[in-house]
Amino acid sequence: MNRFRDIEKLSAYLDGQLSQSDSAHLESRIESDRELASALNDLRFTRGILRKLPARKAPRNFMLTRKMVGLKPPLPRTYSFFRFSSAFATLLLVLTFAFNAVVPRIAFGSMAAAPLVGSGGGCTACGGGGPAALDPNLMQESYAAATEAPAADTQPMAPMPTEMPLPEDSTRKEPEANPAPQEQPQAQSEPLGIPFEWQITLLVIGLISMVAMFLIGQSARRKWN
Amino acid sequence: MDEPSLIQSAQHGDLDSFNTLVLHYQDSVFNTALRILGDEDLAADAAQEAFISAFRSIASFRGGSFKAWLMRTVTNACYDELRRQKRRPTTPLEPDTDDGDEMDSPRWLADPNMTPAQKAEADELEHAIQHCLEALPTDFRSVVVLADIQGMDYSEVAAASKVPLGTIKSRLARARLRLRECLRGFEELLPSAFRLESEEI
Repeated sequence: MNRFRDIEKLSAYLDGQLSQSDSAHLESRIESDRELASALNDLRFTRGILRKLPARKAPRNFMLTRKMVGLKPPLPRTYSFFRFSSAFATLLLVLTFAFNAVVPRIAFGSMAAAPLVGSGGGCTACGGGGPAALDPNLMQESYAAATEAPAADTQPMAPMPTEMPLPEDSTRKEPEANPAPQEQPQAQSEPLGIPFEWQITLLVIGLISMVAMFLIGQSARRKWN
Repeated sequence: MDEPSLIQSAQHGDLDSFNTLVLHYQDSVFNTALRILGDEDLAADAAQEAFISAFRSIASFRGGSFKAWLMRTVTNACYDELRRQKRRPTTPLEPDTDDGDEMDSPRWLADPNMTPAQKAEADELEHAIQHCLEALPTDFRSVVVLADIQGMDYSEVAAASKVPLGTIKSRLARARLRLRECLRGFEELLPSAFRLESEEI
């Protein structure tokens, strides 16, 4: 006999897992084969012992707590709203700071570049400077005009007039010189970036949202527990 | 107990429903873990792990036998524990009994070739059976525990073990045969405790 296949069949027969025809065939073989009958008894014996093994009571309760499974309390919709608003306000606040840090530099860069192009140079020591090399003819003309009528016509020296007023006009123009320094601070005080008040507002919105979010979360957790 | 509705509620995150299922199955789960691992503390830990894992993955339960599904979770937890033990084997130098006394004949010293003196010390049939169970390969052990100790049918065992029905039949037959051989060494314990003659097919 194929011993293991027979053992397998006997084991299945013991558990009622054989078909009726297979069971009938096996039963007839068991009656005639003492070895097979003995193997069946052995299997039955083993199964009987295992089935009678005393079942132990669980030593403790295995019920789960919310903490064990990491369940979080259900949060109201207002929580999501405040979470979004705090995140959005914080993001905007950061962006305003970044904007305010970057924009003045760009503006200063463009302002610094403008006189260089407009004056057409005057900075021969700059070396490699574009304006001086822009148009040598124009430079010569302006130089000639300046040497011919240095006092009569100050037009070609566009950047200079406010710095070097003519001596005879100095007493007359003195009262007019005052407005110039006043205009200059006005021009500097105009905000180039986002106003500080806006940043404060965003900060307040962010803080209020965070506090509201925290309180709602705490309340939900208290109810949950 | 309305098991399907409890399962459905648990799938929607209702922990109370799941805990009702835990109360119903915790003894079976613990016993399965105990017979596979052979240690009460480890079995309790494995059972707890299995329930946590079961709750987290209950959404993946697609019907069928919930007990089989739960048993698969606990056998997996036991396999994990056995693998952990294999990686980092630990042997207590002075194993204690529950009372805190040193164990005279700790089971961890037992081997398949126990001396007659050691056999005499294994005075409880349960220990003898557990000893024989632990001598089985893990796959055979889990099949025999599920089929013969938990009384699950072949299809449930196949579902719990995730192996084909034919493999279950084969493993069960081999496991029973090996257990029979092992238990022959403890025959003096058997007649008083068991009446095999009355066992029905």
